[in-house]
Amino acid sequence: MSQNLAKLAQRIDFDQSSDSEQDGPERESREPWSKPEPEEDEGAVKFQPSLWPWDSVRNNLRGALTEMCVLHDVLSVLKEKKYMALDPVSQDPSVTKTPQVFQLISKKKSLATAAQLLLKGAEKLNKSLAENQEQRRQRDFNSELLRLRSQWKLRKVGDKILGDLSYRSAGSLFPHHGTFEVIKNTDLDLDKKVPDDYCPLSVQIPSDLEGSAYIKVSIQKQSPDIGDLGTVSLFRRQPKAKPASQTWHVKLEAAQNVLLCKEIFAQLSREAVQIKSQIPHIVVKNQIISQPFPGLQLSISLCHSTGEKRSQRASPEKSKPDDHLYVLEHNLHQLIREFHKQTLSSVVMPHPASAPFGHKRLRLAGPMAYDKAEISSLQQSEGLLEKIIKQAKHIFLRSRTARTIDTLASRIEDPQIQAHWSNINDVYESSVKVLITSQGYEQICKSIQLQLNIGVEQIRVVHRDGRVITLSHQEQELQDFLLSQMSQHQVHAVQQLAKVMGWHVLSFSNHVGLGPIESIGNASAITVTSPNGEYTISVRNGPESGCKVLVQFPRSQAKELPKSDVLQDARWTHLRGPYKEVHWSRMEGRNFVYKMELLMAALTPCP
Amino acid sequence: MEAPPVTVMPVTGGTINMMEYLLQGSVLDQSMESLLHRLRGLCDNMEPESFADHELVYLLKGQQGNPFMLRARRSLLHPTAPWHLRYLGQPEVGDKSRHALVRNCVDVAASHSLPEFLNEMGFRMDHEFVAKGQVFRKGAMKVVVSKLLRVLATGNTENTEPLSLSYLVELSVLAPAGQDNVSEDMRSFAEQLKPLVHLEKIDPKRLM
Repeated sequence: MSQNLAKLAQRIDFDQSSDSEQDGPERESREPWSKPEPEEDEGAVKFQPSLWPWDSVRNNLRGALTEMCVLHDVLSVLKEKKYMALDPVSQDPSVTKTPQVFQLISKKKSLATAAQLLLKGAEKLNKSLAENQEQRRQRDFNSELLRLRSQWKLRKVGDKILGDLSYRSAGSLFPHHGTFEVIKNTDLDLDKKVPDDYCPLSVQIPSDLEGSAYIKVSIQKQSPDIGDLGTVSLFRRQPKAKPASQTWHVKLEAAQNVLLCKEIFAQLSREAVQIKSQIPHIVVKNQIISQPFPGLQLSISLCHSTGEKRSQRASPEKSKPDDHLYVLEHNLHQLIREFHKQTLSSVVMPHPASAPFGHKRLRLAGPMAYDKAEISSLQQSEGLLEKIIKQAKHIFLRSRTARTIDTLASRIEDPQIQAHWSNINDVYESSVKVLITSQGYEQICKSIQLQLNIGVEQIRVVHRDGRVITLSHQEQELQDFLLSQMSQHQVHAVQQLAKVMGWHVLSFSNHVGLGPIESIGNASAITVTSPNGEYTISVRNGPESGCKVLVQFPRSQAKELPKSDVLQDARWTHLRGPYKEVHWSRMEGRNFVYKMELLMAALTPCP
Repeated sequence: MEAPPVTVMPVTGGTINMMEYLLQGSVLDQSMESLLHRLRGLCDNMEPESFADHELVYLLKGQQGNPFMLRARRSLLHPTAPWHLRYLGQPEVGDKSRHALVRNCVDVAASHSLPEFLNEMGFRMDHEFVAKGQVFRKGAMKVVVSKLLRVLATGNTENTEPLSLSYLVELSVLAPAGQDNVSEDMRSFAEQLKPLVHLEKIDPKRLM
């Protein structure tokens, strides 16, 4: 029995794995039963007599212990992590085949739940975003109302929202109420597409302020028939196609403009009727007509279109669109705003506070015992109409002066007129500097320089030599004056030329009293003599009669003088003798001064 | 010499009979700021105008009837401005539906010798006070927000103390007699100030 056990123990193979452990010992136990009998004899031979039967077992166990100790040492060294490290060895994938399917299925499930949550959240966000966009596109009534309130004065009366588009809070005293009503547009069909210009807020303006208006100021030749007046209704732009669908700010601004134009026109017509002037102003329907100058007509009209009647009565003046003086229309707007500002100035506020409103200087009228002259000097003397008429007069005078100078300059080449207009003007005054020169001789002949100050009704001319002349508004006066100055210039030019050429001036007169009478101005004359005294040139130049040049020769050169016995000495022949006229038009030279220079040069003998 | 007779005839100033339409109210000191903002927005667009006035009330006591009262007012901020003499008649007892207090009003500008002149005429100063505040205007309407200060020593306007912790708000219009739309405009304006201050017509006789 112990021998069997020893043999069995010998046969225990510690190397084999535990899986086959079960089978192993069974096989081993089966085999040794079958084998020991035949091997009994051999086993007896293999027996070492020195070893006891558990020796191999003991050796095997000792080997196992050694192995375990080594393993334990390795692990403890590994634990220190200083001298050794573990690296994973790639697993054989075929070993873990079955658990991977489970992992896949579980991952799929969890991903599916996460995706569902995210999708739900995204859907909610999308819905709210779409709602917002829809709202913004529809432009909520309240946000529009806020925008309206930021620009216009609104107040709530009962359940209506009213606004004020008049200029009363800016100082106007026009009695129009200027109230508009804010209406909510609720007739929107949400199923149909919202039109682009849809606005949930619309305004209703007073019926007399609808459409658009402007004030037309124009100057024309006086119309022969007074029955033509009063039908001015011209429009410089087409009325809008759909006035009902305009946005509220366009509507309100147009209505305010109409109100301002009405106020301007009311003020002008009130003044036209009240103020006494030499030539009364005519107020007919929507037009005010006055006469600034004889033969001229200034018409101020209020053109108001309500945008409904497209076909106007054919107005014959449609061909003159530039008749409208836009500057004066703008000035009218500015003047009425000035007037508004004056009512709001702090000069009007009462000190002490219980006193009535009024200009503070006028309040002193009582205590300081002002008389009527002082009071009237304090008050506004000029109304809107007077100011505009003055401005219109000045504009007309200025344009006519410019036209006169330009026509003269283009008509007459010798001498030349230059006009330098000043850039900075007043509403009532402009100035221009007129120079009369000869071409090529500008440095020498610059004695005629005129400064014209164009006022409201008169032109004041300041000459270079200090003379001041006042011309009336007549066009002819200015023209005549300039022509006379031009003729004087020629004679002055001869004088300057004589200085340069060395000739001596014997006589010079701006206004000669001899010869034919000129209808425009006076003729001027000059006599110059050559350096050696032999020749003399006499020039007479008049605005109408033109120029006449005579040359005086020495007696020796005159052929028609009879020889006389009285003069015996030869030296008397050197005196100057008769005059001979020069055919000036046949003279060479492009202008008068050039010709004169040539003449002088010809008469100066070469040394 | 007997005392000069006090006229009982209605006093008219010059050719036009001017009436003063008046609504009054008051507001506490702490609500003053918001009231000023509101008025600044509602009234005409100007810089706010402050004032400091010294008012003297003169009485002429006759033998019979009520004493005749005149108010003389000068500006402390603008010493060179003329004095303002004012007569206010009895409130018109028209229909009760009229929204504002209407009374006859005569305004006269006077030179700086006014107190002596009134004394010579027989008036005696009854009381005086100083009013400080701001004036606003809207068209023809005038809104005066004033703090009334009591003068401690007669004639000395430096030493003053407030009469109350509130400001007096007055809405007034000077217009010729017979214009009823004036009171309508005043009422609609007073409506816009409604929650801050209640402007109503206060009969001075009821206060006496």
